[in-house]
Amino acid sequence: MKTQFRYHIRPLALAALAAAAGLGLYAALAPAPQPTGVALAAVPYYSLPFGPDETGEDRPFWPSRMQSATGRMTDPARLPSSAECGSCHRTEFEEWAGSLHAAADRDLIYEATVDANVDLLRHGAEQGRFCEGCHAPGEMLAGRVTRHVAVPPADALTEGVSCIACHTATHADPVEGNGALTLAYDRAEAERDGPQGAALLADPRAHLAAYGAPDTTKLLAGSEICGACHTEAYDLSMSRAETRQDVQSTFVEWRDSWYARNGVTCQDCHMADDPAAQVMALREGRLDKPARYSHRFIGANHVMTDTSLGDTLSVLRGGLLPGVDRDLNQATLAEQARQTTEFLRTAAGLELRGTTATAEGLHVELAVQNLGAGHNLPTGVNDQKHMWLEIHLTDATGAEIFRSGGDAERLGVEDPQAVAWLEHFLDNKGQRITGHLTFATARVEWVRKPIPPRGEELVGYDIPLPPDAQGPFRLTAQLHYRVALPDLIYQNLRRTLPVPSFTLAELSADLPEQAR
Amino acid sequence: MQAIRTMTALAALFALGSAAQAATEAEGLAEVKAFTLEHNAALIAEAQKMQATAEGYAAIIDAHGGDYAKAWEAEGPKLATAVKDLRAHWLAASNQYETIEGIVAGIPSTAKYDLILDAGNPGTEAEDVAEYDLTLPDGTVLERPGSLFHSITEPLFWGTDEAHVKQAADLDGDGQTGRGEVLFDANLAVGAARGMVEWATALETDMKAWEPNRDDAFTAVVTMTPTVGDYFGEWKESQFLGGDSAAFVAQSRLVDVTGIMSGCERMYRSAISPVVAADDPALDSSISGGFEELLALIADTRGREEQGDTFSPEEADALGAEAQDLAERIVAQVLQAAAKHGVDIKS
Repeated sequence: MKTQFRYHIRPLALAALAAAAGLGLYAALAPAPQPTGVALAAVPYYSLPFGPDETGEDRPFWPSRMQSATGRMTDPARLPSSAECGSCHRTEFEEWAGSLHAAADRDLIYEATVDANVDLLRHGAEQGRFCEGCHAPGEMLAGRVTRHVAVPPADALTEGVSCIACHTATHADPVEGNGALTLAYDRAEAERDGPQGAALLADPRAHLAAYGAPDTTKLLAGSEICGACHTEAYDLSMSRAETRQDVQSTFVEWRDSWYARNGVTCQDCHMADDPAAQVMALREGRLDKPARYSHRFIGANHVMTDTSLGDTLSVLRGGLLPGVDRDLNQATLAEQARQTTEFLRTAAGLELRGTTATAEGLHVELAVQNLGAGHNLPTGVNDQKHMWLEIHLTDATGAEIFRSGGDAERLGVEDPQAVAWLEHFLDNKGQRITGHLTFATARVEWVRKPIPPRGEELVGYDIPLPPDAQGPFRLTAQLHYRVALPDLIYQNLRRTLPVPSFTLAELSADLPEQAR
Repeated sequence: MQAIRTMTALAALFALGSAAQAATEAEGLAEVKAFTLEHNAALIAEAQKMQATAEGYAAIIDAHGGDYAKAWEAEGPKLATAVKDLRAHWLAASNQYETIEGIVAGIPSTAKYDLILDAGNPGTEAEDVAEYDLTLPDGTVLERPGSLFHSITEPLFWGTDEAHVKQAADLDGDGQTGRGEVLFDANLAVGAARGMVEWATALETDMKAWEPNRDDAFTAVVTMTPTVGDYFGEWKESQFLGGDSAAFVAQSRLVDVTGIMSGCERMYRSAISPVVAADDPALDSSISGGFEELLALIADTRGREEQGDTFSPEEADALGAEAQDLAERIVAQVLQAAAKHGVDIKS
């Protein structure tokens, strides 16, 4: 061994010397890492109408609670677009391209609603940061959410909740919400100084440091990162509410549920490769994690994935994303639609719990059940996303003798008589706002509280029967869900687009004869 | 394609007579004032048409004793035409105002008109209140009712001001009364249209007294240029989403885009280019080139539309996105130049 070592020592030493020289040469010739980010003061005409925080620090993103990890703005020219990520992470990119996250800042209805809010105030563009923090984090961090935009556009900023939005997150506050995420876009910028493209495989350290940092990896595994945006509360910072109004409490609904107690996260359902199958397993008490996590973020918005809308869907989603052609768009949306439809069908149930005779006719009791959602039904911004019951009672001849909640579908308008799970936004005069005008909202009131996870609500109907009505009576009931009020679209988009509803659950039953 | 666009743009600019660069900043600013007065005059003319149409609408209602149902039954087509015309005049007037809004809102002596005409809140709000009262033909005085365009006439003419809806009416004759198909309060329509004429005329008086300056010129360009995306969006939506806008817009939105962007380009070349070119010719060239490209894109798209080309939604989206991208790049550069020259951009 010693002899061998002595024999090889010279070439080994030469090799070591050559390696050291090579590394030295690389270090000398390699461009020095560029500084990351842009000082706030270097973004001309970036307006700060809301003043500093209580410690005297600037609040460039207020009234969103979003933060930049370094306190600096980002340089959009150095940010990778999701299309670039997709050159290697193809499956994830194609899944994400069909998601609502990808359309978060392009969605025409969202854009029109932001414009309607922005137009309410002279500093509306800046107050719009409240919305854009979650819908367009790249635009926010680049300093483009301001009245006079001195930062040029870039592909990476047009992609809503893009790859880097989640994969550079370092902190989340899901209880405060309102976009309470800290994003380290400086890591994405710094990664540009490392090898790119195929060379990245030879030295992936910079890539891992940017997108696989321990703090981010830990955050991505839990529900907290989702809660930072899926929790929304209004106060005087962005609305007319003098006391905190909880508008969206999806995280807390989950946190206090059976799902959280059993370690089931948002990702386990909404990012499962087969979300509907995952929910059905959970309904049966099986807690296995998904075999694979997808980037489709399957949710309840069946309209923005409804390929039967044809060209309208493409327009509503704001056109093609960078790196997506028509064929890919249609293919990924078709799969998104299929999974969304299946997923929605796992959420709710309807049961007939009892029928009793009354002096005037019948009392019917229905149980509306939250069977598969790990949060309330409905959840989200419920001035728009709502559900309602439609019931019909027919007599032995098939003639309808009672109906409730049918007008919504028949006339394409909200049915004020229906049993509905819905919030009302009210202005400072107590008038209802139907156009999701956050900046004008003073109070939020539930018309009927939502149904908690694994919970149910009994809904009773007193049905008067005409004296000559003959049984047997047949009851049909449907639980409908709609993602937006038609008024929202008319008011903000000036269009009378139909907003199709989705039937979450239905039942039909012949009522017992003695019910008469 | 690029060459074709550039040639198309140059042709369009030649036709509009707007491409000449002013020799000095002072000359350019004088041109900006002339431009503003030209659009102010057009605004007054459109407001006068709105007033005449509103008075005609009111006369029909009056002829039936103020009974909207009877008036509709007897003279439905005339009333439907009046509503359609009021909406078209509203849009035309609004477009004229939007073209100069950046200047009007940016000049201390005319800023109040921006609140009264377009951007002000009613007196019930805490800020940005339009400080004027509106007297209606029947003598009613509306105290601080909000801006004429957006608080009063827009919700009135499109039927979203439920308090002033008088009668559902099948305006488009399709056998149904959809959203916005209503007859509205004629008294308010006439009062608001007269108010529009009155305040647009008052603006003209103060505008004539205005001494143009660099800050206002920059403000106008950076305020108006980014609106190209909105107009392209409306054009695209009218193509593919149908609905009310498609029914009442008298002409393609691309005509409006051409007018407004030509105005922005004119202002840049006249009043700003001499300033930017003096110390950064490359930046000036880049901004000028951006405008040429933007106008070429608009002219090319409009030309195709006139020839009867149909656009797929993806193509329409791509065109709109390209226009917006160009506009935002122009504005970002103009703002960089503005910062370099210490320009105060008015909000």
